[in-house]
Amino acid sequence: MENMKNGKYRETSKMSDLICENYPMVLVMSRFGIDLGFGEKNIGEVCRQNKIDTHTFLTVVNFLTETKTVPVAEVHKDISISSLITYLHNAHDYFLNFRLPHIRHKLTEAIVSCPKDVAFVIRRFFDEYAEEVHKHMSYEEKTVFPYVRNLLEGKKDPKYNITIFRKRHDQIEMKITELKNLILKYYPGPDSNLLNSVLFDIFATEQDLASHNRVEDYIFVPAILSLEKQ
Amino acid sequence: MSTNIKIAIAESSAIIRCGLETLLKRLPGFRIQISEITAADCLTEGLRIYKPDILIMNPSIPGSFNLQHLKDECGCPDMKCFALLYNVSDPFLLRPYDDQISVYDSADELKHKLERLNAEEVPPEEEENDDQQTLSSREKEIVVCVVKGMTNREIADRLYLSTHTVITHRRNIARKLQVHSASGLTVYAIVNKLIELKDLNG
Repeated sequence: MENMKNGKYRETSKMSDLICENYPMVLVMSRFGIDLGFGEKNIGEVCRQNKIDTHTFLTVVNFLTETKTVPVAEVHKDISISSLITYLHNAHDYFLNFRLPHIRHKLTEAIVSCPKDVAFVIRRFFDEYAEEVHKHMSYEEKTVFPYVRNLLEGKKDPKYNITIFRKRHDQIEMKITELKNLILKYYPGPDSNLLNSVLFDIFATEQDLASHNRVEDYIFVPAILSLEKQ
Repeated sequence: MSTNIKIAIAESSAIIRCGLETLLKRLPGFRIQISEITAADCLTEGLRIYKPDILIMNPSIPGSFNLQHLKDECGCPDMKCFALLYNVSDPFLLRPYDDQISVYDSADELKHKLERLNAEEVPPEEEENDDQQTLSSREKEIVVCVVKGMTNREIADRLYLSTHTVITHRRNIARKLQVHSASGLTVYAIVNKLIELKDLNG
């Protein structure tokens, strides 16, 4: 239990060490609103400079880098919920407005030389998937976050609670795993550097979405549950 | 094809936990996801959130647990349980467990025990085609029907099968291809020329 509360990284750890040892954390950092170019500063200094709650930042990075331990009940203790919402919102923005369109663009280009009908169904599969991610995330943006923001101001909505969200929250990375499998096993065209590059993007996005969901399930939801009990 | 298994290790010694984890992750033929439960007080909560397929637990972890009770409480009625043993234990204590792992087990023994537990999961009828992951011609027919947007009922009527059989076939197809959605099967069907684009509705 202790080791989860004081995870591997502390306020005094260097930001550059965190990122170099766990490169996906560069995305976490950017979603908290921290820019590159932090020099030799430690995590605490960088967070304070960017007016970000250090404890929340450390909770998320320690949770994501220490992937195997089931978070104990207190992992969300004392985190800043509004910082966490900003983080989640920026992640949504990244997936919907950058990552997925970027993959689609590259994928379309990578499969030009394969048979037209195959290219058509792959594109359609991707578009349906992107639409699902869109729905998933806009539910959080339009229903869950406003509910929580009101709750933070002491306004409780008698008709909603976070358990409703917890029950309907599905694993959004499942379907992109399918796309990966389909391309790996059945792609009929010639291999290309561009297609391999798209595959790498898909691998990374699969991981990134899974991490994102884990933060929601294991940090965000428990934090709101205890806020509701107050 | 490797089998996905979610395992939770409930054991208070960090050295034993990490050792077991390293060994499990190296086993060929399995893709194992592990979560560690370090203390008795986070057992129920941990299982409830993580919902593992298998729990490997040191029976002497502080606090007494009724396994059946634990499964009910954390909503994992089908979870299998291994007892993790350092030395000889009271057989009565071990009776509720599905199997035992000794800290002196070799990687092969561990693999064997996992396979045995997993084999019990797969009904015999599904096992026969297991070596070849390609679809049978019946399964291909079903893929085509699914892709055309037919319901299980309609597929059953068309192919003179019971809906139950159709569902079993669909489960096998999903397992073999690792594709679960209808739009994913569409990609499979087009790529493998089971169907043409013009045959699709909409």
